[in-house]
Amino acid sequence: MTDAGTLPVENLGQNRRGSSVDHRSRRTSRERKHSLAGWLFIAPFGAVFVIFLVAPLAYALYLSLFTKGLATGTTFSGFGNYVKAFTDPSFLKGIWFVIRFSLVLIPVQMAVSLAAALVLDNVTSRFARFSRLMIFLPYAVPAVIGALMWGFLYSPSFGPLQQLFSLIGQKAPFLLSPTNIFGGLMNVVTWQWAGYYVIIIFAALQGIDPTIYEAAKIDGASTRQVAFRIKVPMISSALILILVFALIGTLQFFTEPQVLGPIANGTITPYFTPNIYAFNLAFTYAQFNYASAISFALGIVVFIGVYIFLFLTRKRGSFLS
Amino acid sequence: MLVTLTSAVAIAATLAACSGSAGSSTTAGTSPKLTNCTNKMVNKDAPQVSVWAWYPNMAKVVDNFNNTHTDVQVCWTVAGQGAPEYAKFQTAVSAGKGAPDVIMLEADQLTGFEIQKALVDLSPFGANDVKKNFSDGAWKDVSQGKAVYAIPVDGGPMAMIYRSDVFTKFGITTPPTTWKEYEADAQKVKDAGGPLFGDLGSNVPAVITALMTQKGAVPFTYDLADPQKISIKLDDQATKDVLTYWAGLVKKGLVGTQDQFTTDYISGVVGGSYATYVSAAWAPGYLTGAGVGKGTEKGQFAVAPLPQWDPSNPVSVNWGGSTFAVTSQATDKKLAAEVAKGLYADDASLTDGWKTQTIFPLNQGVLKSDAFINNPVDFFKGQTANKDVYIPAENQYKGFNYSPFSVFYYAQLQAEVVKINAGQTTGDQAATDLQATMVTYAKSQGFTVK
Amino acid sequence: MTTVTAAPSRTHRTRPNVITHLFLGVLVVYFLVPIWFLIVASTKDAHGLFAGSAGALWFDKNFDLIGNLRDLFTFNDGIYLRWIGNSLLYALSGGVGATVLSVLAGYGFAKFRFRGRNLTFAILLGSVMVPLTALVIPTFIFLSQLGLTDTIWAVILPSLLSPFGVYLMRVYVAEAVPDELLDAARLDGAGELRTFFQVALPLMRPAVVTVLLLSIVGTWNNYFLPLAMLSNSNLYPITVGIGLWEGLASSNNGGGQSLWSLIIIGSLISIIPLIVAFLTLQKYWQNGLTLGSLK
Repeated sequence: MTDAGTLPVENLGQNRRGSSVDHRSRRTSRERKHSLAGWLFIAPFGAVFVIFLVAPLAYALYLSLFTKGLATGTTFSGFGNYVKAFTDPSFLKGIWFVIRFSLVLIPVQMAVSLAAALVLDNVTSRFARFSRLMIFLPYAVPAVIGALMWGFLYSPSFGPLQQLFSLIGQKAPFLLSPTNIFGGLMNVVTWQWAGYYVIIIFAALQGIDPTIYEAAKIDGASTRQVAFRIKVPMISSALILILVFALIGTLQFFTEPQVLGPIANGTITPYFTPNIYAFNLAFTYAQFNYASAISFALGIVVFIGVYIFLFLTRKRGSFLS
Repeated sequence: MLVTLTSAVAIAATLAACSGSAGSSTTAGTSPKLTNCTNKMVNKDAPQVSVWAWYPNMAKVVDNFNNTHTDVQVCWTVAGQGAPEYAKFQTAVSAGKGAPDVIMLEADQLTGFEIQKALVDLSPFGANDVKKNFSDGAWKDVSQGKAVYAIPVDGGPMAMIYRSDVFTKFGITTPPTTWKEYEADAQKVKDAGGPLFGDLGSNVPAVITALMTQKGAVPFTYDLADPQKISIKLDDQATKDVLTYWAGLVKKGLVGTQDQFTTDYISGVVGGSYATYVSAAWAPGYLTGAGVGKGTEKGQFAVAPLPQWDPSNPVSVNWGGSTFAVTSQATDKKLAAEVAKGLYADDASLTDGWKTQTIFPLNQGVLKSDAFINNPVDFFKGQTANKDVYIPAENQYKGFNYSPFSVFYYAQLQAEVVKINAGQTTGDQAATDLQATMVTYAKSQGFTVK
Repeated sequence: MTTVTAAPSRTHRTRPNVITHLFLGVLVVYFLVPIWFLIVASTKDAHGLFAGSAGALWFDKNFDLIGNLRDLFTFNDGIYLRWIGNSLLYALSGGVGATVLSVLAGYGFAKFRFRGRNLTFAILLGSVMVPLTALVIPTFIFLSQLGLTDTIWAVILPSLLSPFGVYLMRVYVAEAVPDELLDAARLDGAGELRTFFQVALPLMRPAVVTVLLLSIVGTWNNYFLPLAMLSNSNLYPITVGIGLWEGLASSNNGGGQSLWSLIIIGSLISIIPLIVAFLTLQKYWQNGLTLGSLK
């Protein structure tokens, strides 16, 4: 229903051709009030953001421009730390690992989560509601505790894996050995985070206007067609958002290998991922300046990765504008 | 929903009450009245000293101290155990704020913090008054020449725990006294289809370093008085011999490669999968706490002195043990030094410590007491382990010269042992590689490597 | 005029079939097995944990759930309850606070055009690309200057920051709140705040509940932030507390008492509040008002 009362504000100026000064200033003052309101909504978050993210980040960046030797003092070295970082085999090995890990983990995770969310959106049985809780549950388990559990479950001495394999007279593979660590970690991370993604996708699906489904049904669309031709495209900006943050998070992989390290029999080295490397440099080797540089170097890699990803998906919808 | 949330927050806040909304409030000149204490104050008017420590019986120790001191009170909290506490301390050191007055540190951490000027030399505060309470080796570990940076509390003289049932079953009548015998016995057990004789855990680099020194290696020579020079010798023959020896044991399948301090390792100990456990004096307490000795394996453990390379020239080595150091951020250093000297130094605390198998005290008063000497250790089925093994080992211990980058060194050694355990390198090569890595690192940190 | 229907009929839902239920069943088993392990292990004592009779996934002959619970709540003068209380405090205040800030900011980004909007939005994304590891020491320095380290504020204040929450809200708001509705309200004379509270917010409810749930869980599970900021064990959240016990159990003894059974049952109990939160909040997902027609 359109009547003058519901016309968007911007159109008002176009329909009147009278005193242009009047509606330009009216529009500008409205626009200014509009802008101001926008800033005001953002202000509370913005304040915390500047204080607790931008300011510390700036200081960390400042620190990364200095070098500190244990025996000598602190000297200004400009980008020396960054040159060192990008030629540091420990850092580069870590980067290589997280890139490979991201390329495998994220599609798997997303596929599982998307499938689960689509199914849950479709089915309203009591079992489905129970499943929703069960899928969420691992996310509710803190990584520290999750690692503890997986430590027991992966244990070659008394884990169930060993029990299962002993039934067929074999020794169970140690899922945290250097050969198996990739899969071992993938399992833990998928288990831990699937619920998180399911919740987000599910909520996005809930926001779709159900009348669209009615129209589709009238057109004779099957459930699968509805799912893939209607639902997924409609939540594409949410999906892209999730994928970007999943990419950022996985390239910054830290918690799971860090907490599983003590039981992995030496597989998790101090530079297993770049973030772990930065952590150890800062807190165990007392080299905070270089640790800062490593963190920012990782940030640069993440930026490149995200930029490439957003470029590749620019047609599918963007959450950035 | 808002009402529910508000009431939930209120409940939570009440539950977490008394958590201290402010940290220490310092007025110039006076000691702060701290509100973050896990313990209760006895003398509320006395100045307070903050302490970070994780001894399991620390609550009692602190109460003992506070009850007997009117001039100072201890405010204690557990800031973490081991590495997390060191990380927190490192953060506070880097930030210049947030460190406690007194901190519990293992001996191998001291030099790394000394070089950052994070610890206070205690000799002007009467540290040498308590020097006579400790063996030479124990005192050397906390000293840098004439300066004393911490007061020892407990130590870990090393010995060999073994399964008496396994030894009996496979015909080993006396425990091996030399490493040659150790290998021979291991082979004997293996040939008869028995379990692994021991374990080379990659995550216990302190043990491997101790074993290296036992053959005469001196990995680091560092003097804080000349802070920019360090001598690193990790590729000498002694180190190579020790690493080659253990690599050989691994290769021949005589010892395991499981990381220690894991539940997997403990279950192996419980189940008799390892005939021996090369360990320190605090091991019985640790194993008991980990659940060992409650089932069929109860009473099957005994301890013997650590095997030697040269029986005519026995060398004792140490693993672990902790100290109290005063941090440079302490508000009243004299008072903090008093606490460092007096905390966990009284009879009541020390007795509780060793009776509950929490620590192996280094205090000579305890080590010379009849009760301690003749204590029949339950874990060893009544064997007087202190008299036979641990006290002699402690008295013979000569101390160790730690580098300022122990943690980094341990990580490199760990990586090498991982390779040894995987069969990817030899003992000789590991030593050479380790030397190269450490020299490069030291140079990059600005040290002159002699 | 707009028509609003409550609780959409979801006529697109089909009758549940075998395949979907099988798929859900497989997922449930996958997610449940470690939790089941936790439940079973909570009934065992230390010896049963490591040398139990029936293996990891079934009960030991020594069933001691009550004893373990008793030990858990009395150990160290009941520090566990205090830790749970701390977690509740941090999670609720941090989670609610982060949600409020994210909802406001997301709404602002989505529904207002102002100069610098896209740039600010991009900076927000860029800032999360540097790992938080780099921020710990600068944040610690800043908070210690204010005397706030080792207090509850050291955990709560940084937890208010949820860039992902802002992005999520923005995406949801852009999809679920039509501009026309807002303009109608404005032209009816409503101020921005009233428009927000009375028109937009009800439409955003599933999204708000989602961000709330994720923020609460995220803050509850936070480990490294409180670990770095707190040294007083009375202030620890449950994650740091259990991590502390784990460290003590692994390389020390608990003064003769094995901490492993406490750790296991402590872990189990700590999940319960989040389950409660999830069950409470999930009903808000489906009660969101949706627009019937705006034609």
